[in-house]
Amino acid sequence: MRIGDQFTIHRAQYFLRSAVAGLRASPVTSLVAVVTIAMALLLIGVFLLLLENMDQVLDRFGESLVVTVYLENNVAEEDVQAFQSRFSSIEGVVGTVFVSKEEALDRFRHRVGDQGGLLDGLDENPLPPSFELSLEKERSSIESLALVAQSIDGIPGVDEVSYAQEWVSGYENFLSLARVIGAALGGVLAFAALLIVANTIQLTIYARRDELDILALVGASRTFAGVPFLLEGLLQGCAGGVSAVALLYVLYELLLPYTAAGWSFLLGNVPPQFLSDAGTLLIVAVGAGLGLLGSAVALTTAKRP
Amino acid sequence: MSVGTTGTAGRSSDPIIRVYHASKSYLPGTFALHDLTLEVHRGEFVFLTGPSGAGKTTLLKLLFSAERPTEGQIILRGRNIARLSAAAVPALRRRIGVVFQDYKLLQSRTVEENVAVALEVLGVPPREIRARVFSMLKQVGLQHRRTHHPLSLSGGEQQRVSIARALVNEPEILLADEPTGNLDPELTIEIMDLLANASLRGTTVMVATHDLGLIDRYGKRRLALEGGRLKDDIPAHRFT
Ligand SMILES: Nc1ncnc2c1ncn2[C@@H]1O[C@H](COP(=O)(O)OP(=O)(O)O)[C@@H](O)[C@H]1O
Ligand SMILES: [Mg+2]
Repeated sequence: MRIGDQFTIHRAQYFLRSAVAGLRASPVTSLVAVVTIAMALLLIGVFLLLLENMDQVLDRFGESLVVTVYLENNVAEEDVQAFQSRFSSIEGVVGTVFVSKEEALDRFRHRVGDQGGLLDGLDENPLPPSFELSLEKERSSIESLALVAQSIDGIPGVDEVSYAQEWVSGYENFLSLARVIGAALGGVLAFAALLIVANTIQLTIYARRDELDILALVGASRTFAGVPFLLEGLLQGCAGGVSAVALLYVLYELLLPYTAAGWSFLLGNVPPQFLSDAGTLLIVAVGAGLGLLGSAVALTTAKRP
Repeated sequence: MSVGTTGTAGRSSDPIIRVYHASKSYLPGTFALHDLTLEVHRGEFVFLTGPSGAGKTTLLKLLFSAERPTEGQIILRGRNIARLSAAAVPALRRRIGVVFQDYKLLQSRTVEENVAVALEVLGVPPREIRARVFSMLKQVGLQHRRTHHPLSLSGGEQQRVSIARALVNEPEILLADEPTGNLDPELTIEIMDLLANASLRGTTVMVATHDLGLIDRYGKRRLALEGGRLKDDIPAHRFT
């Protein structure tokens, strides 16, 4: 068992050494491959950055989204209890807050401030009592809000159910459109990058094709001869991914003063943020995948003895 | 002349290489090798001669399984490799050292890495690889060059590296195809001495060459090919 592990470690070390030797032997071609991957990933990164930020707006908004259930004006005290238990038993509802007529009036006064005198002339409080239902975080999308609202609408004693303003649903539609376009563009870009990367790596392999033949002469299996080349691709891909993220960060920070207007148009008063850790990892992983796949394609298309 | 029963006294009995009615045809109707039958014994040193196009390279390729015979059998160490599967070729090659006129070194790797690769494919532990590579490079007089890259070496030095790579895993058979074809006479002697030494240590050596002066100097057995056929098999002669 220990001998086997040792063997594996030695093999891995050999493969890594060979890959590094290969990269150092053709620095220019390697650099071209890294830059190619970095450019493609930079574009994908820009899309990801936009999407993540827009998602974040929706997330924040989603947290404050509630379904407001307006009750009929003359609802009895004991009915409030019944409503409360009924609403909190709805799937996905985690919080129910009762807003009495008086509280509603207070809120109104608070909001309109000095013009509070507006309502003083009325001998009766015109505002209805209501329940504010908050949903589980994962369910705070327009669809689930609508679903909850639907299940409440029509219950006797309920006057009206309202949730989310029009623009939230509009923003969400816009976002899903952007996501589809982003995914499609990203896919096309990644595919184009794959072809270019495969071609570039194929060139490096073609230039060193004799190495595969030579390795075969000393008794290397196809795997043994091929793994260092795959590893070269993987390393180039990772380097491309890391460069893309670094470049994106520099651009993002440098251009922030100039892009502020654009950001606030997209995000309102939510401040923009750089890529999340998951997004960063995704870019690097896509780079690694591109590099690996590119060299695999090049290896299988290179004629072997 | 008869082959097959001509074992000289004192030589170990069973031949390590047996070629039996082997033919090789690259293009239909033409033969690079034609009905070739020969035997080589363990530890023998054999020159393979003949004009260009005689089939020397083809015979060597059959022996390290770079080509398959169109007909006949190739038996190495008692095993028929005429129909060897592609998957079994690497294992065969690990027991055979091969040296070429153009050295075939990995330009991206150093001298010691080039030699080490023959041991890496065998899965030899790194410490042992280092020791064996160093002593091998010492034998060919290149220990001071071990961190250089092949392109910074002279032709003779590069060929010594390739011989070191061919011998470092102590193969039973060493095949060399015009190993001194690119080298001047002085370096030629140097390289041939290395190959002759390997045979003294028990390795079976077969060297293809058209340098007849070389053959006279060493007085070894000589297989003469012409037009893909074995024209002559001249046994080794002692120096007088
Ligand atoms: N790959 C090949 N395809 C077609 N013909 C070949 C090939 N290799 C060698 N030949 C032919 O086979 C014959 C023997 O060649 P070769 O074995 O290289 O001879 P030598 O090494 O003695 O010069 C020659 O006529 C050569 O043209
Ligand atoms: Mg030849």
